[in-house]
Amino acid sequence: MSDGDAWRGNWLVRLRERVRDRGYTSVTAFAEARPTASLAELADELGQDIAGVQIHKVLVDEAERNHKMARLVRGTLVRKFRDWLPQGWPASLDPDVEGGDRFKVAAALGGWHSYSPIPYRDPVKRAGDILMANPPPPGWYPKGPDDELLRMLIPDDEA
Amino acid sequence: MSWLGVALLLCAASPSQEGTRQAVHRAVDDLKGSTTTSANALGRLARKTAGIGGVNGVFTRYVAYGSDQLPWLRGALGGSTALAETAAQVGNADMELAILRVAGPRLQAASFGNILLAVWVDFLNLADTVLDNCPFYSVERLLVDMKRVQQLVVPSMAALASQDPERVEAAATAMPELMGQLTDEFGALRNGVRRAAEGYQRSMVAAQIVEMITMISAMKMSFSQMPPPPGASVAVGAGALVMESGGVMLGPRIVVSAEWMETVRRLVQAGVITLPVASAALRINAGRLMMAQTGGDLPKGVRDALGDGPEVRGMHETGKAGAGMAEAPRHHVLPQEYRAWFEQRGFKGPMDIDQFCVRMERAQHEAIHGGGDWRLGRTWPEEWNQNVMSELRTIESNKGRMLTPSEILGVVADEMRSYKIPMNFIPGRKG
Repeated sequence: MSDGDAWRGNWLVRLRERVRDRGYTSVTAFAEARPTASLAELADELGQDIAGVQIHKVLVDEAERNHKMARLVRGTLVRKFRDWLPQGWPASLDPDVEGGDRFKVAAALGGWHSYSPIPYRDPVKRAGDILMANPPPPGWYPKGPDDELLRMLIPDDEA
Repeated sequence: MSWLGVALLLCAASPSQEGTRQAVHRAVDDLKGSTTTSANALGRLARKTAGIGGVNGVFTRYVAYGSDQLPWLRGALGGSTALAETAAQVGNADMELAILRVAGPRLQAASFGNILLAVWVDFLNLADTVLDNCPFYSVERLLVDMKRVQQLVVPSMAALASQDPERVEAAATAMPELMGQLTDEFGALRNGVRRAAEGYQRSMVAAQIVEMITMISAMKMSFSQMPPPPGASVAVGAGALVMESGGVMLGPRIVVSAEWMETVRRLVQAGVITLPVASAALRINAGRLMMAQTGGDLPKGVRDALGDGPEVRGMHETGKAGAGMAEAPRHHVLPQEYRAWFEQRGFKGPMDIDQFCVRMERAQHEAIHGGGDWRLGRTWPEEWNQNVMSELRTIESNKGRMLTPSEILGVVADEMRSYKIPMNFIPGRKG
């Protein structure tokens, strides 16, 4: 890869082409088929000239049109787990305890927050606070937007 | 010990981060050791009231010039240590390498600076001995000699002291030629003293002292090759170097070991050191005959063993000029509007946020905006800055205490991967 290839030319056209070439009708369909991949991994699969953040932008667009934003927001946390908590929720949030890690949880939840569209940032912040105050069992790893706990934290949009 | 030793230690370590970290610390310690050796010699010379400290103090400025190099050498080593520590804690392989690459010019500057300072100390010792023992050699002539030598040393030393990657690389690649010139100057001075001594009764003692200095000097490797064997041409080019299983050979002599070559090859391929700098180090090791040949490429076999290849050349180009990026604006990945925030969290000195810039063409920034009506931000770099700061603040609030530099760079590494911005840092400027 050379410098900044992902930002040369019309990346939106490029991204839609790549997804279509793989037999998907939308970027959302492509991403939903890989619910536990990180955004960067999704991008790598489509080519070295596609960036994860580009995929995310289109996912937000498509989710907004389809009124599936809450679902996308839940899925975004799953992708952040891949980046920061690949072994699942740590044994403890106390870094001095064996297997404990507060920073990586903070990073996963912080990334989730900053990748959430503005109307969802407050709910996402509250959800993160709830998770840290009442930690799920060690090893908890949501496998997709249908995860039960995630659905409680970020319920589907009102129709 | 030079950066060659650094290179060796860096790669002698296991692939684990812990091993690399320890290796870097050992390497920096070794470089500190050679700085200390020069510092001790300079201290001894500075305290002298006879010899170089006599003759109304006209030579003390030359000793002071040597001592003046010590702060930046120590600073470069301290900076390398700080960067290596952060690299070891960042927990992201790409970022770890990127930070080690930021330390690369410092390590190279300190290593080549140490070599140059050691040579300068050799000249000071020679002058001191001549002033102490050789009244037959004119003080005025010695002053002129020292001034001429200093003029040779100053431009390269200043470039190394700047620690600017491009200036360091230029100085390092020109070092073999400079070392050749300095070796010639040292030989000429020594021969001048010897000729002046002829006819003086007690001259043998003085000449022996001069010989002794020659033998202990940093340049003795070069002198051991003098004079050339009868009938042999001195025109031995770099092409005479041969890569063999035991290392790089110059005739019967091993210039560097195969292990050294393997180590340097890995560092070159990782982008921590550049191929031209590695070649310069090899030439310095090859000694005077090689240094005299400023042109002349290394043979292909040797270049290949040093890690030459399209990938490495491409890396070099994207880091510097070429690939259309030379004039592209530099952008701080740690937003400089928040410089104070980063300073509070340890980004100062060698870790200054100015060290962590990337080049991005204007068209590329604007492309990030293209094709959508985003809820998530504006344009690069504004979008980047907003997202990164918002993310870092949220993470810090979640963590409940200040983020460390390696944690911040870990977050930035994750974002750079999401934006697919290559982790090649170049220093930027305040602005």
